[in-house]
Amino acid sequence: MAVEAERIRPARPAGQPGRPRPGLVTTGLVAPPLLWLGILFLVPVVLIFLYSVNVFSFFPGQQAFTLDAWKDFLDGGPFMDLFWKSIRMALIVSVCAVVMAYPIAYFLALVASKRRYVLLLLILTPFLVSYFLRLLAWKVILGDQGVINTFFYWTGLRADGDAVSWLLYSQFAVILTLVYVWIPFVALPIFVSLDSLDRRLLEAASDLGASRWQAFRRVTLPLSLPGVIAAFIFVFIPTIGEYFTPLLVGGVSGTMFGNAIADQFGQSLNWLNGSVLSFFLLVVVGLLLALFARFLTVRRLATG
Amino acid sequence: MDIGTSKAGRRTLAVWFGILVLFLYAPLLVLVIFSFNDNNLPVFPLKGFTLDAYRQFAANPELKASILTSLKVASLSSLGAVILGLLASIVLVRRTVFARGVVSALLLSPLVVPYIALAIGLLVFFNETSVPLGIQTIVMGHIVVSIPYTILILVPRLERLDVRLEEAARDLGAGWWQTFRLITLPLVLPALVSAYIVAFVLSFDEIVIAYFVNGQTTTFPLYLFSQLRFPTLLPQILAVAVIVMAASTVILLAAEIGRRVLERRLGTDLETIGTAPGPGGAPEPASAAS
Repeated sequence: MAVEAERIRPARPAGQPGRPRPGLVTTGLVAPPLLWLGILFLVPVVLIFLYSVNVFSFFPGQQAFTLDAWKDFLDGGPFMDLFWKSIRMALIVSVCAVVMAYPIAYFLALVASKRRYVLLLLILTPFLVSYFLRLLAWKVILGDQGVINTFFYWTGLRADGDAVSWLLYSQFAVILTLVYVWIPFVALPIFVSLDSLDRRLLEAASDLGASRWQAFRRVTLPLSLPGVIAAFIFVFIPTIGEYFTPLLVGGVSGTMFGNAIADQFGQSLNWLNGSVLSFFLLVVVGLLLALFARFLTVRRLATG
Repeated sequence: MDIGTSKAGRRTLAVWFGILVLFLYAPLLVLVIFSFNDNNLPVFPLKGFTLDAYRQFAANPELKASILTSLKVASLSSLGAVILGLLASIVLVRRTVFARGVVSALLLSPLVVPYIALAIGLLVFFNETSVPLGIQTIVMGHIVVSIPYTILILVPRLERLDVRLEEAARDLGAGWWQTFRLITLPLVLPALVSAYIVAFVLSFDEIVIAYFVNGQTTTFPLYLFSQLRFPTLLPQILAVAVIVMAASTVILLAAEIGRRVLERRLGTDLETIGTAPGPGGAPEPASAAS
């Protein structure tokens, strides 16, 4: 089919006749976006590193190379503990989000035949609503004087003032809110990978005597794994550095690594320490990205 | 017969789908209900219907000023992001580029890097270069985080464009600028509009970067955040929340539907000339029919 032949045609190589100096044109095209990200993303990363070893300092005249702040941090202590706590919370959040969203994606891709795009839109729409407003909603719902607790008082399920206090300002609140925020985002890449699944493979599996469960475990699940991993990474990494969610609904026990960074640059005015924490976070993110790079392509993420 | 899923399995999945839809929409519904509730605090029992919160909101100059600031920031940053994203997408789709993997990784990285790290980086950078903090620095930061979203929207569209259209234009003597202006641009316009809107909403909503590099400027999310300390203002905030929620959802959905319709129309036009597969003509997997 002509249509398909067109789609698999590789991108046209440079240097074909009719395109003068393709290298120069390419450079001219790609330079502005790369420069923008270079100057406002890569240069700042280098600056953070320089701050973290005190070659640059917030206080003029105090610049002197030192690794003390790094040693303090890596030796363990409250900040390192907070980092591991954030990793743990990010893991819980991303696993919960994937586990909850997978059946949704499966339902949309393989069961809800005709109306699946409408239903997909139904799942995705909450993601279009402001992140901050969705946080606010949970703050209003979970508080001691919030929707759930006052509902309990009102209906007499609990005595007036005897609030279920772990609902807000807790790790639970942070995890619940983040899972809520991420579910639509997670459902999308899983849906894309399940939607492109060749159904003849399932027919073949069943013809060869596989039960439905076997077909799912041996065919569907492995083939959807790239989408699952992409979704997982896309939740896990940003969640490690989450800032506003713990700030709004986390209280003391829900504090995360991002809050420590913000505090060092804000109230504590300790840019040296803050830079160590930020650069460490960037290194961890970089390593995770390198590890999972092949799952994070434009093709995997874009739906058109 | 569905070989993938048993009947009971399908039913269970449908129920789970329903539960999750409830879970996703209930909190938003709560915002809506309590914005109309006749009480200064969002607590049960509901007291009665009122539009007071909406009236107060309309009379709050600070709030309106912050919305105006956010509109300014969002319209500038999304314009920048769409231009830069289009340039990057053309290169990624149409041209061979040195170290392609590294280039696309850099372009997409703001999608995953925690915003707190980006924000701190910008803060340090602007401090070192003595750029005064304000609208301009928020715009610069928002362009960084919006670029990957524009690329994710533009690349698939460019991939579906028939290269032969551009080649034909070149063969007929059009320069690269003419080719771009008369062929490529009109065909990607729907995707450009939808990329602009997504970047706009993203910027309008963004709070972490704005929080660190705002100087004295108050964007809309920052204003909401600063008002959370006063519980009695909550209904007002809820009222604004509902309006913004409704507006952004309608705009985004309209844009998405409009883009699909437009692209389909562009696609079918081309197909009648017999040249290119439109998005509507994208081949379904053969098995889908069976």
